[in-house]
Amino acid sequence: MDWFDKSVDKASQLWQRGFDRKVRVAVTGLSGAGKTALITSLINQLLHTASHNQLPFLEVTEEQRLKATRLTAHQELHIPAFPYEKNLNSITEPSRQWPSSTTNISLAQINCRYSVKNKWLKTFREDSVLRVEIIDYPGEWLLDLPLLQLSFKEWSRLCVSYLSSQRRQQYVKSVTETIHSLRFHLGLVEPELSATLSEVATEYRQCLTRYRQEHLDYSVALPGRFILPGELKGAPVLDFFPVLNHDILELDWDTFEEDSLLKQLENRYDYYQKKVIRPFFDEYFSNVDRQILLVDTNSVLEAGYEAYQELQKTIEQLLQGFSYGRSNWLKRLFAPSIDRLMIATTKVDLLPPDQHRAIEAFMQKMVAQAQNDVGYDGVEVKTMAISSVATTEPVTTEHEGQQLLCVKGEGIDGQPVIHYPGRIPDKRLSREMWEQLDIDITECAIPKLVSDEPLPHVRLDKVLQFLIGDKFR
Amino acid sequence: MSDKPIKFHKDDKAYQKAEKLLNESLAAEDNRVSSDSELATLSSESADSNKVFIKNKPKKGRLKQLFWPSLTVFVLFAAGYEAYQFISRLLSSHWLLGWGAGLLATTVVVSGVYSLYTGWKARRRLKKRQQQQKQLQAILLKNSYGQADAIIQEVNQEIEEFTSVEPLRDKYQQRKRQVHNDQELIQIYSDTVLKGLDKMAVDMVTKHATEAAAMVALSPLSAVDMALVAWRGSRMIEQLSQLYGCPQTVLGRLEMTKKVFKNMMLAGASELVADAGVEFLGKTLTATISTKAAQGIGVGLLIARMGLQTMNVCRPLEFDKENKPKLSQVRKSIYSKVKGLIKNATGSVPEKKK
Repeated sequence: MDWFDKSVDKASQLWQRGFDRKVRVAVTGLSGAGKTALITSLINQLLHTASHNQLPFLEVTEEQRLKATRLTAHQELHIPAFPYEKNLNSITEPSRQWPSSTTNISLAQINCRYSVKNKWLKTFREDSVLRVEIIDYPGEWLLDLPLLQLSFKEWSRLCVSYLSSQRRQQYVKSVTETIHSLRFHLGLVEPELSATLSEVATEYRQCLTRYRQEHLDYSVALPGRFILPGELKGAPVLDFFPVLNHDILELDWDTFEEDSLLKQLENRYDYYQKKVIRPFFDEYFSNVDRQILLVDTNSVLEAGYEAYQELQKTIEQLLQGFSYGRSNWLKRLFAPSIDRLMIATTKVDLLPPDQHRAIEAFMQKMVAQAQNDVGYDGVEVKTMAISSVATTEPVTTEHEGQQLLCVKGEGIDGQPVIHYPGRIPDKRLSREMWEQLDIDITECAIPKLVSDEPLPHVRLDKVLQFLIGDKFR
Repeated sequence: MSDKPIKFHKDDKAYQKAEKLLNESLAAEDNRVSSDSELATLSSESADSNKVFIKNKPKKGRLKQLFWPSLTVFVLFAAGYEAYQFISRLLSSHWLLGWGAGLLATTVVVSGVYSLYTGWKARRRLKKRQQQQKQLQAILLKNSYGQADAIIQEVNQEIEEFTSVEPLRDKYQQRKRQVHNDQELIQIYSDTVLKGLDKMAVDMVTKHATEAAAMVALSPLSAVDMALVAWRGSRMIEQLSQLYGCPQTVLGRLEMTKKVFKNMMLAGASELVADAGVEFLGKTLTATISTKAAQGIGVGLLIARMGLQTMNVCRPLEFDKENKPKLSQVRKSIYSKVKGLIKNATGSVPEKKK
């Protein structure tokens, strides 16, 4: 009766989707954008809705229809659960640390019991349960998404231009020379082949890791698993590297022997595409209903022109990879797709509130093209300036005879500090303007928080309203 | 005109001139921007800037303009003169009579001036309220920071003078954070304090409308109906305006009533059609039972519509699509009330009609 169970399962899945009682939210963003903190805070806010009134813009709580919420185990048992308690503890404990960065995929599921609003649905049942699923995964892996569209040769070309940038050159000089000295025509046999590949690939990965530790980087050229291998650590699939030799890139690669070094590399790259990237996105992102893309605009503003350009390009490429489209109920039954996308700039608690508008506008200009592309598919796109855990509070001081709105927080050294980050631009900047830009955004320590109280936040209620608010019907 | 491309360098006169012009235009733009931020006139200005309109109102003749002021002055003068003569004549006959009449006259003058003064104050309040509406509406469109709070405080103070909204205000205070921008603040205020007031107002409108409907349905004389409508309507407007913190006196209420009726006439065609449909439905159903009942429902709906428009005029923030009160909310209770009356009348005692 296996087929029977299966079809019952399938039918109940379809039923669930048809009645819309599940919503899967993908929290996307490059590493360091604050995905884990956002998820922790979102769960925290939802869990406190019944007892507190801290989400004025979430309609369902405003109408007092949300009765209770609970963090439950999810049905996909092969995915680890999101370590909510651990993350919350690390924020509220006396040591006050941000949650450690994610190294593997995880899933959180929150069940929300609410009273039905719709008159007709109400005749069937008073209460309903909405399952909210939120996926967390290392942001580095997101960088792999655009690679799906590139062949090995195209990727190698991209890497050549990527590595030739000034700030990267000093890190990769030696490995570039090693790769240049390789003879790609030569056929090697095992175990010599694996040894060589592994040796060069390790060197290549180490250079990049060292570079990324010291610099902020948003480019897509490197495979995400090079930086964060997860369960693939040491697996031969990661032992490949781009061809950086100009002469070889000019050649027609079809003429190479099947057992040549070059073909071996290409095979591994293809394998990586097929067996690592594609399953990952198929499994975790094809069922997504709503998406939020986090952008750390603060650090871009500090990093300068080059980082800005790279991030802009990366966001465009990233959003191309997701399947968008208006999900009407018929379409949702068969091919779920994202119908709402929020692009949020995070960590705005470090800026005075009167500049939130500026940073939102600045980010909006940065993602305008991507937003337009996505909007063309009929997806509702919204931008917002948010903060998952507010670490500061706004204060007004007087500076040179004028009122100045600043933020007050606890500095890293434990002393209270009042900070004015400078005037945040609200429009695109030319290269010269970037050079003149004087902005200093200091991180503040997490304030002392009580673990039973909801975390302080900025506009998470609006985020929740946009992402899942309409599902509480 | 030249066909060839020309380059101006920094030392060239043309370059300097172009720069100067650019700076001037930029300065002008800056001025415009900064005057934009002066809120008071913003919305009306920007809204009107791309409208086509008749420039000069056709002027009334100067003599015609003089009519009302001169008449008023003449009447006042004549009355004063007559009163003076009257009192002095009484004084000459007996001093007590004269003093009594003089005292009475003074009371009339003082109380009259006072009521004029309060009327003037109420009118100013209404005007101020209209301005606040405009300001808040302009802020809502702008995504600014730090401008709404003062206006909201002012509005709230005015409301609190007449209505006790402490629990609602506390809710607002508790929800608002310093990080909220103007738009969010206004929205929160609208969702807490104004929402509560709206609910009370709709209840009030329903009460007055159903009462009026019942009265008209039961009144034996058609001539009384009109007086009833006027009486109930003015009572309702008075109470509603007080609820929203801009109470209107008799003198001011006339102005307000004028505004309400104007609004009712100007209400969008679609709204009218929808309302008419509702009324029609309500009427035909009951009209088969009784014409008087149908008239009652008609009057009730009229009062209800007047009430909703009064809310629109007095509310510090214009309604948006979602929180706009609808006639259908009131219609149901009017209809059921009149139906109940008819049932009682026909069911128990045949000679029910008052």
